[in-house]
Amino acid sequence: MLLNPWSIALCLISVLALCLIAAAGRTALNVLRYWDPASDSNRQIRLENETWLASTLVQNAMGLQVVSLILFTLAADKFSAVINGAMCATGSLLANQYGMPALYIKLAGVFLYGFWIVLHKLDISREDYPLLRLKFIYLLILLPFLLGDITLQTLYLLNLHPNIITSCCAVVYSSGQGGGMNLLGSLNGSTLVIMFYAAGMLLYALGLVNRKWPSRSIMFADGLLWLLFLWLALVSITVVFSSYVYAMPYHHCPFCILKPQYYYIGYLIYLTLFPAVFFGLAAPAVEPFRHRAGLETVIAAFQRRAGWLSLVLLTLFMITVSWHYVLYKLLGGQT
Amino acid sequence: MPLIELKDVCKIYNRNLPNEVVALRHINLEIAAGAMVCLQGASGSGKSTLLSIIGCIFPPSSGRAAIAGRPLSRLPDRFMTIHRRRNIGFIFQQFNILPDLTVLENVGLPLMPLGVPPAERQARAMSLLKMLEMEHRADFPARQISGGQLQRVAIARALINDPPIILADEPTAHLDRELSLGFMKIMDDLRRAGKTIILASHDHLITEHPAVERIIGIEDGRIHAA
Amino acid sequence: MSLAKQLNILDYALQGLWRRRLKTGGIVIIFSAVIFLAASFQFTIKALNNLVDQDLQATPEIIIQKMSAGRQESIPLDYIKKLKGIWGIRRVVPRIWGYYFDATTKANYTVIGLNYKKMPMGGLLDKALIKGSLLPGSGEALVGTGVKEALRLPAKGAMLSLFRPDYSLKALKVSGEFMPSTDILTTDTILMNLADSRDLFGIKPGLVTDLCVYVANPREVTTIARKIAARLPDTRVVPKSQIKETYREVFGWRGGFASICLLTAIAAFIIFAWDKASGMNPDEKREVAILKVIGWQTADILGLRFYEGFIVSFMSFLLGCSLAYAHVSFMGAGLFRPILTGWSVIHPEMVLRPGLEFSDIFLIFSLVVPPYMAATIVPAWRSAIIPPDAAVN
Repeated sequence: MLLNPWSIALCLISVLALCLIAAAGRTALNVLRYWDPASDSNRQIRLENETWLASTLVQNAMGLQVVSLILFTLAADKFSAVINGAMCATGSLLANQYGMPALYIKLAGVFLYGFWIVLHKLDISREDYPLLRLKFIYLLILLPFLLGDITLQTLYLLNLHPNIITSCCAVVYSSGQGGGMNLLGSLNGSTLVIMFYAAGMLLYALGLVNRKWPSRSIMFADGLLWLLFLWLALVSITVVFSSYVYAMPYHHCPFCILKPQYYYIGYLIYLTLFPAVFFGLAAPAVEPFRHRAGLETVIAAFQRRAGWLSLVLLTLFMITVSWHYVLYKLLGGQT
Repeated sequence: MPLIELKDVCKIYNRNLPNEVVALRHINLEIAAGAMVCLQGASGSGKSTLLSIIGCIFPPSSGRAAIAGRPLSRLPDRFMTIHRRRNIGFIFQQFNILPDLTVLENVGLPLMPLGVPPAERQARAMSLLKMLEMEHRADFPARQISGGQLQRVAIARALINDPPIILADEPTAHLDRELSLGFMKIMDDLRRAGKTIILASHDHLITEHPAVERIIGIEDGRIHAA
Repeated sequence: MSLAKQLNILDYALQGLWRRRLKTGGIVIIFSAVIFLAASFQFTIKALNNLVDQDLQATPEIIIQKMSAGRQESIPLDYIKKLKGIWGIRRVVPRIWGYYFDATTKANYTVIGLNYKKMPMGGLLDKALIKGSLLPGSGEALVGTGVKEALRLPAKGAMLSLFRPDYSLKALKVSGEFMPSTDILTTDTILMNLADSRDLFGIKPGLVTDLCVYVANPREVTTIARKIAARLPDTRVVPKSQIKETYREVFGWRGGFASICLLTAIAAFIIFAWDKASGMNPDEKREVAILKVIGWQTADILGLRFYEGFIVSFMSFLLGCSLAYAHVSFMGAGLFRPILTGWSVIHPEMVLRPGLEFSDIFLIFSLVVPPYMAATIVPAWRSAIIPPDAAVN
């Protein structure tokens, strides 16, 4: 299904991203080979200028990646209209084995670009650009990653045929018994909710402890907890919270909450969850560079800010995701 | 410690290329805070290059340059800019005023990347324009005012960050005698207020002005005794 | 990266765009024209899909047509009996559905012969009538507003004179009229009872054009359709979902084709944007050099260019999309008439209602804005790295 406006838009954005990252990669190679801060040759001046181009290109590529991610979920939802058995994005994404991996790699891409930008900002805050080499080696890794993203996406679109019959969210995520395809059947809803809120509370606690008495081990523990929380949050949204949004006990789906009939609440949920996790992870991610000359204060300041931001976003996320659930529990609405 | 200190400074353009040009050769120069000096030399002598190095526009190719207590050799462009806007005020020969902006906007322009909010920007620009007796032209587009007035706008813009060093490149080239004397009066006042002033000129009105305490001659990229 | 600084740069970007309003306006006009085309296409397809959905709401879950030599022919009413015993069928309603070409007005009318009362919830359809009853008696007919206007029927006591295949005249008394609000479905419709339509088209007694099967549980449609096909091997069994998907595929494909055409337009636009942005005139170069020498950093100029690009795309996007919406919903996508004629089977007088969602807007956004932003990165960077010494003589 390549001849379709959605597929064309996805391919167009992939091609653009590839151009940007390839151009940035060229700069990265030149910088790694020829960078000489002591020289004022024309080449060095050109390289210094090109580092600005590279960072602009990556920032734009990050923008494209976010657009691509949203577009991909929307496209999957639209495809469900022509794929037998698919009622929403879940069904379309499961129509072949490439759909879900493509979605995951796109999401991971946003985080990877984001970390690069964090690294860049830290690097240029010091006159001697202490992270320059690392930053450009990292940039070179983005290229194969992007190629993987594009390959999966293309395979997904090529292998998507309107007459394939697939199972949709009603089957895949239902916690009922006996369903052959059941991804999450082993988890009990109420245990999950308790774990989810407990992890959230623990994140607040660790975040506050970290502000008061910053320590490396707590920082890393916090990072791991954020990863666990991301997983818990996604599963809880799918299994528990989404059905309160739909007000249908047997409708569990992480994608349908993005639809207009639910007032796009899904965007609010995901656009607070992912940035919260991003900043939660960014703080421990830059910890290893703390010992580099002159970066201590910059990194400490960044970690404080990232930690604070992640807790604010976490609060917003908790409010939006719990809204329907709490309202239902309080008012005891009918199902 | 001198405010401006150059040791063995060389500047080579297009190094290792066929069109290599050596603009400055082994310059040693010290200028104390509060001084008013004049760089004198023909065009192509290296005068503008020296002014650019003192003005933190680009670093020297070799040698040591310390401006306002900060060594500048091989500082990335980004930090040169930060240092420049803190310490240097420029007055250019062609004034370099943006013709489509108003006088007030032009004066406040250096404050924009510092995150100074509009109201404060206007207030600070206005007080400088008042000091230079230009407040009646504040809302005029810069293209509509005369050369002498443009220079006052340029002076106001150079002063807006309250820098310790003022650089002026051929400031009187486009002015008549009376306006030139007026300009030197303003510079003298600024010197009295504690600024260090470096003028690049071969205008006799400047070189022979009583307030100029030192003349530095430049020829073929070298300083010769004055 | 303080907010106040970003606001200042944004402020300067807005001022700059206003100062160069002629150039800005030119780019916005061209960009919004591209967006207008892309959006009009997308909105039209969307509206057509909505139209089909609406159309199909009224159609039965399954339609059975008799096939002979690969062509459709009349189906005997006896076939209804053969369907007895298939569990899940709610009702089978015979129908005559045909087209009548009127030579004087050169128009095609849809003639339906059907007992609506037999349809599930058929009684509700009375509300679709200005007057009369959905059960036209013998020699009576109901007409849609389109038919009424085309034939200039008087308000009272109107008579329809239609030709049978053998050119003999059949007269029908107009006993009622459909509401204008149901135009999408009824504008070209002439509804009569089964016997009259059989008489009009010269169909032998005991035959109809197709059988409509209503199914209680939509999930069983596929199974029931398969069972019907097994029992009636000489028929074509068309489930509603299949019609829907066929339409979707056709529209989607045409939309894709159109998108490719549009990409060419976008490419041309990018070349234009590149040209505009990279061909900096000396004044603009001087402006950047001055800004840099008085303390703007390379990153500030990059930010400035980003804001400029963002404002231009945002304005063009808003303008292009609004115009496209007006074009599609108020002017019936007039510019695309020649391409849309292929779809006139649906309805001659289309009223397009693109009921927009976030996803439609986002699709158009991602087709046009990223290419523009990407095309302006390198020129923006080129302008940002102009060295400050360009301002010193």
